[in-house]
Amino acid sequence: MISEIWTEKYRPSQFSELIGQDNIVKRVESLTNSLNIPHLLFAGPAGTGKSTLALIVVKELFKNNWKDNYLELNASDERGINVVREKVKNFARTKSIGNVSFKVIFLDEADALTPEAQQALRRTMENYAATCRFILSCNYSSKIIDPIQSRCAIFRFKLLEKKDIEQVIQKIIQKENLTITPEAIEILYEGSEGDCRRGINLLQSTATISPAITSELLSTIISSAKPKDIKVVLEYALSGDFQKSREKLLDVMLKESISGQDVIKAIQKEIWNLPVEPEIKVKLTEKTGETEFRIVEGSDPFIQLQSLLASFVLAGLGKD
Amino acid sequence: MTSDVRFPSSVHKEIASQEQDGEGEFIGKRQIGEIHSDFTMDELCERKPPGVLHWTEKHRPQKFEDIKGQDEAVSKIKEFVNHPKNKKALVLHGPPGIGKTTITHIIAKETNSEIFELNASDFRNKAKIQEILKPAIEQKSLIRKNKIILVDEADGISGYYDRGGIKELLDLITYSQYPVIITANDIWAKKLRNLRTKSELIQINEINYKIIREVLFAILRKENLFVEYDFVTKIAVNAKGDLRAAINDLQTFSKTNDISATIDQRNKEQSIFNVLKKVFKTKPTNDLLGAYDSVNMPTDEIILWVEENIPAEYQGEELAKAYEALSKVDLFKGRIYKQQYWRFLVYENIFLSYGISAAKKDAKTNFTRYKKPTRILKIWLNNQRTMKKKSIAQKYAQLVHIGGKRAINEFPIIKQIIKSNPVIQKELKLNEEEVEYLSKF
Repeated sequence: MISEIWTEKYRPSQFSELIGQDNIVKRVESLTNSLNIPHLLFAGPAGTGKSTLALIVVKELFKNNWKDNYLELNASDERGINVVREKVKNFARTKSIGNVSFKVIFLDEADALTPEAQQALRRTMENYAATCRFILSCNYSSKIIDPIQSRCAIFRFKLLEKKDIEQVIQKIIQKENLTITPEAIEILYEGSEGDCRRGINLLQSTATISPAITSELLSTIISSAKPKDIKVVLEYALSGDFQKSREKLLDVMLKESISGQDVIKAIQKEIWNLPVEPEIKVKLTEKTGETEFRIVEGSDPFIQLQSLLASFVLAGLGKD
Repeated sequence: MTSDVRFPSSVHKEIASQEQDGEGEFIGKRQIGEIHSDFTMDELCERKPPGVLHWTEKHRPQKFEDIKGQDEAVSKIKEFVNHPKNKKALVLHGPPGIGKTTITHIIAKETNSEIFELNASDFRNKAKIQEILKPAIEQKSLIRKNKIILVDEADGISGYYDRGGIKELLDLITYSQYPVIITANDIWAKKLRNLRTKSELIQINEINYKIIREVLFAILRKENLFVEYDFVTKIAVNAKGDLRAAINDLQTFSKTNDISATIDQRNKEQSIFNVLKKVFKTKPTNDLLGAYDSVNMPTDEIILWVEENIPAEYQGEELAKAYEALSKVDLFKGRIYKQQYWRFLVYENIFLSYGISAAKKDAKTNFTRYKKPTRILKIWLNNQRTMKKKSIAQKYAQLVHIGGKRAINEFPIIKQIIKSNPVIQKELKLNEEEVEYLSKF
């Protein structure tokens, strides 16, 4: 059954269909054709084709038996490395079906594992090397410990360019009998942030309203998906009402279940619309950047965001 | 562990057995309502066989001048006694063993009053109180004119079993012709909230270890005993502001000569309120680094308490500085999780105590009502509300080969797609409730 979800429906199923990663595709394809792959590490931003390429590899390797020989895990969803290990163990216990001598385990978002967990993973990779190949995916290869990196062939996926996204979009437009204006493509590309999945989702979401995709419609969808009340949060802070600002922030984050990183993204953009001096904008942006860094490094985004709001309160008082 | 590295209590879990507040022993030797200020402590002491006597009683201060380390409180109390305001009750509150009861007795002595004492168990019913108080109010003191009614350990009045006990106390304050002095450990206990508004509150602080050491040496001189300087210092520091504890420890040590046994016993728990107050109100000192040691609470929870209450204490620049410190706390916490490098706990603790405290320019004297952290509750409530969203996102995530967290993040976009397409709903095997949840958008 073909999925009605376009990210699935139009997911490339052959090497030749994958867009924007020509070099990688070529190398991975030749590895796959030899019917023997090393462990692979796919590093790169979201929505650039890492999972897709992994799926193509297993489909090419195992043809119709691919589902029996393929295990997909998401490191950020599994509860700890022990769960991962257990699942790997159970999966690796049985022999592969078909003429390929190994099975494939795809571990998505492997950089969500702590270095200790990665050490454990390394051992697991070694223990099952005879029967399993691992394909790891991550956003940043620097977050993967060296011993794992050295055991993998590393492929760095690049952010999709405008022409890449456009190509994907135009294909869907055609197949789904939609129309789209050139400005709308522009907006769609910006809204996608180079993430093909996000671009397709935005398109499908807009298409539920009308088959004629216009920039207005797209903008409505994009802005409705954005945290709206961030502006209100910042306005409270600038006016000196920290308590209300923080209350509203928690409210927004919980109700719309948006992550700290999404909030900081929205704040960073909102700064340019604030009624403050240019000099202050620069300072607030610097503080925002530092906060984003700390959210990544730290453990509790809400604490980091409150700290940022306290800086906005100061900016509102004309201090810094 | 070296002495310059202090871990928060949650790291080394061996929190020693909690010290029992010994105030009760002293009270226990008296009869309710007994008038005993006619005797000096020395006279009382003489009635007991030597050796049984606790040093805490034997060396109890007799004059305001003898009270160590409570100058500010003492001057406030004198002011209250000499110039009574419209509030008739004085509440001396603070942790155990710092002189609340002693101060009251000295007030009585200095103002030529006799003490009429009630304790928690008296506040059972109105009739009993009246029965006890009747003689106190009617009877003229033979020797002295004044009376002071002392309600010792008001937090011992149970709000539950002694229904109305607090009300009796409030009535007593209202109708008494004599000043009422109340002692309490935790004045912020919920049941005491009405008492707070009706009385003059005086905080009795923990005593600095140097002063404790001074007192200990004075006692050793009187007892003609010699204990090494280092041991005395250890006992003084370890008591964490509780002078009575230190004196008891000294007495124990003088008999056993076993310093570790003496000290390990003592790791008392302060309420988080007291610690927050210390961190937020007082100027930072090095002993603040151990502030949270006495709080029997995981550091993560303490962080939430601090977070909740920063805005109540700090404004403007202080607010920003305090949050900067808290941000660092969280930063190190994140690094501990990610790198499993536990020594970062040291920094986490420093920023959480000293860092937060150093955010202010001057010490604060105002009163702050500290709040319980509410964020966890809000998150929980919200999770209840968003359970369906999560289950939908989870189903979606599996189908399209992404992580559940990412599906949640993308939910604002994908909900529109799922909502408007029954085929996709079927594909995802959504149940009726989930479909209904989507239709609300």
